[in-house]
Amino acid sequence: MAVAYSGGVIMGADSRVSTGTYVANRVSDKVTAIHDKIYLCRSGSAADTQAVSDYVRHYLGAHAIECGRPPLVKTAANLCKRICYANKDRLLASVIVAGVDPYEGGSVYVIPLGGTCAKVPFAIGGSGSTYIYGHVDHVYRPDMTKAECVDFVKTAVERAMARDGSSGGIIRLVDISAEGVQRDFVVVN
Amino acid sequence: METTTSGFSFDLCARNARLEGKAPAAMKTGTTICGVVYKDGVVLGADTRATGGSEVADKNCAKIHYLAPNIYCCGAGTAADTEKTTELIASQLDLLRLSTSTQSRVVAAVTLLKRMLFKYQGHISAALVLGGVDCKGPHLYQIYPHGSTSKLPYVTMGSGSLAAMSVFETGYRDGMAEAEAVALVKDAIFGGIFNDLGSGSNCDITIIRQGGVPEVRRGYETPNETAPLRAAYARPASLRPPVGATPVLSTLVDVFDAPQPLAL
Amino acid sequence: MASTGAGYDLSPTTFSNDGRIFQVEYATKAVENSGTTIGIRCSDGVVLGVEKLLTSKMLLKSSNRRVATLDAHCGLVLCGLAADGRQIVGRARDECSNYDEVYGDKIPPRVLAARLADYVHYFTIHGALRPFGTASMIAGYDPCTKTHELYAVEPSGVCLRYFGCALGKGRQSAKSEIEKLDLSTLTCKDALREIAKMIHTVHDESKDKPFALEMAWLTKDTGFEFALVPDDLVQEAEAWAKAKLEEDDDDDDDDDDAEMTPAPPTDAASPS
Repeated sequence: MAVAYSGGVIMGADSRVSTGTYVANRVSDKVTAIHDKIYLCRSGSAADTQAVSDYVRHYLGAHAIECGRPPLVKTAANLCKRICYANKDRLLASVIVAGVDPYEGGSVYVIPLGGTCAKVPFAIGGSGSTYIYGHVDHVYRPDMTKAECVDFVKTAVERAMARDGSSGGIIRLVDISAEGVQRDFVVVN
Repeated sequence: METTTSGFSFDLCARNARLEGKAPAAMKTGTTICGVVYKDGVVLGADTRATGGSEVADKNCAKIHYLAPNIYCCGAGTAADTEKTTELIASQLDLLRLSTSTQSRVVAAVTLLKRMLFKYQGHISAALVLGGVDCKGPHLYQIYPHGSTSKLPYVTMGSGSLAAMSVFETGYRDGMAEAEAVALVKDAIFGGIFNDLGSGSNCDITIIRQGGVPEVRRGYETPNETAPLRAAYARPASLRPPVGATPVLSTLVDVFDAPQPLAL
Repeated sequence: MASTGAGYDLSPTTFSNDGRIFQVEYATKAVENSGTTIGIRCSDGVVLGVEKLLTSKMLLKSSNRRVATLDAHCGLVLCGLAADGRQIVGRARDECSNYDEVYGDKIPPRVLAARLADYVHYFTIHGALRPFGTASMIAGYDPCTKTHELYAVEPSGVCLRYFGCALGKGRQSAKSEIEKLDLSTLTCKDALREIAKMIHTVHDESKDKPFALEMAWLTKDTGFEFALVPDDLVQEAEAWAKAKLEEDDDDDDDDDDAEMTPAPPTDAASPS
């Protein structure tokens, strides 16, 4: 999931990658960097989302060099959307693109399975997200502080992990702001 | 049971009814492969049983493949796929080394493999444990047939992976010494050999050390030697003819010299 | 022209022995023979003006436009061969729409100008193609950095960013006029008048055909959307320009009279 606050965005994810009932990787990092201050949360098929984020990272990097300035989060989301939509019958990839650019501040874009792209104040995705829709809708308020956002993300992901068998492990947190990127993880009991 | 030669046979109806709607799952290919990162490098281990269905096709096959002087790869899945995929990427890495004049990087091998496997959308059934040491240190990856990868300190793949992983989860520590790491890998492979029907025979180990030459210990441990068992079996005398038991009737010796050049 | 370019000017893929590509220089000559084009980056926008020579009295003044909109936030004005210009406009429009489709954002003027320059340059390195005989002045607004920008792309493929730029027949005198203006405070409304005046000044009534003044701008007042300047504003600017020119002529005449004839005696005793 990802949520935007006035100075940036907070992104969070669990760390479980499963093949059927076996956990292939219990400490994976599903929040992937595609540029200095733009990350995406991956859900769906690990192979598909890794491939998509590699392509987006490549195109976004070339684009940023041509323009000579940091890319917009909107552009990163658009590139993701084009790939997901054009290959919608072959991919199982649902991503949340979030980050900070110098022109529009912190933004969150959600790109679910079919390849829609929508700018949203916060987004949740993945199999465990179904269990926390009520929770996030109830708790979310616009204009939360950074600390409130971190708590919002941590609690929500923890609750999803508690109820969803395909979610578990640790909570990966990423805080992106104009000052830089802070990565952290939380062990849940 | 009476067999009727005419009329309908309804023997298979019950079976067909059971299979309808739910085809049996493809049999998981038998292997236990694993790898662990230790203080000075990477240790890779594999069993040596190759199965064709429920029959053992090769009792001592080599599952740890060479990719580069500093990178080796264990392969689970279809033996032909793992063999040919690793050979292809080994050759690509060779060409890259020739054009860049530098040691191969583990991440380069991983990227080449994952790009190829994703392109084939999982139809190449190669599940790999890739380990190596380069200028950035020791690295260990697991690569799935669909092209997803994970970088981890210890990994297991194959039908015996659960058994091996249970050993790792109990015994792994950060920064182990080499002897300890090798013992851990051996125990993990043994876990697969003895508890998984798809894995068996011997345990192969490959140690890739920082700044050193990889040590390939083929047949590091052979707990399933059949020679003593075969020797213990007393065959009847009629199956052990002595030398010279067959009489020689005539002898014809034809000596072939080097072939004469053709006169045209 | 210093040399005749004998033998070195047959193809853009041949350098001359003193390091020049004559075909590109000849293409620039085609631009220099065309109607004057002026672009000024003011404090609150960019204004472009062009002296569109009317080849016939029967020609509808608004046809054969030298000004083209490329996207909501940028446009260009052409100087040189009109047909070549149409190709450049088509390509520029494709670049704008393609960029928006792929990157989900309006193309930054700098990127557009660079891509157009690369396109134009491509035609100077192939034996089977000839260079474009057109230069274009691009006015654009960058919504990210919130700056309005003016670029000129020449037939050689050079692309430069300008505060004020002039191309075509009267570019020398137009450039010196632009340099007299204070561009940091000049508004677009004032620039309309100044450009009209410059173009009317450089237009030679006796030698050239009659012309129509085409102007386009993107200003803060219009939300930085590129558009043709409304007719009434153009007419008002031209009227001002003509009046100013007459005033200057009168001043010149007065000065001349003062120099040539002595001041008449003012005492009442002079014979009438």
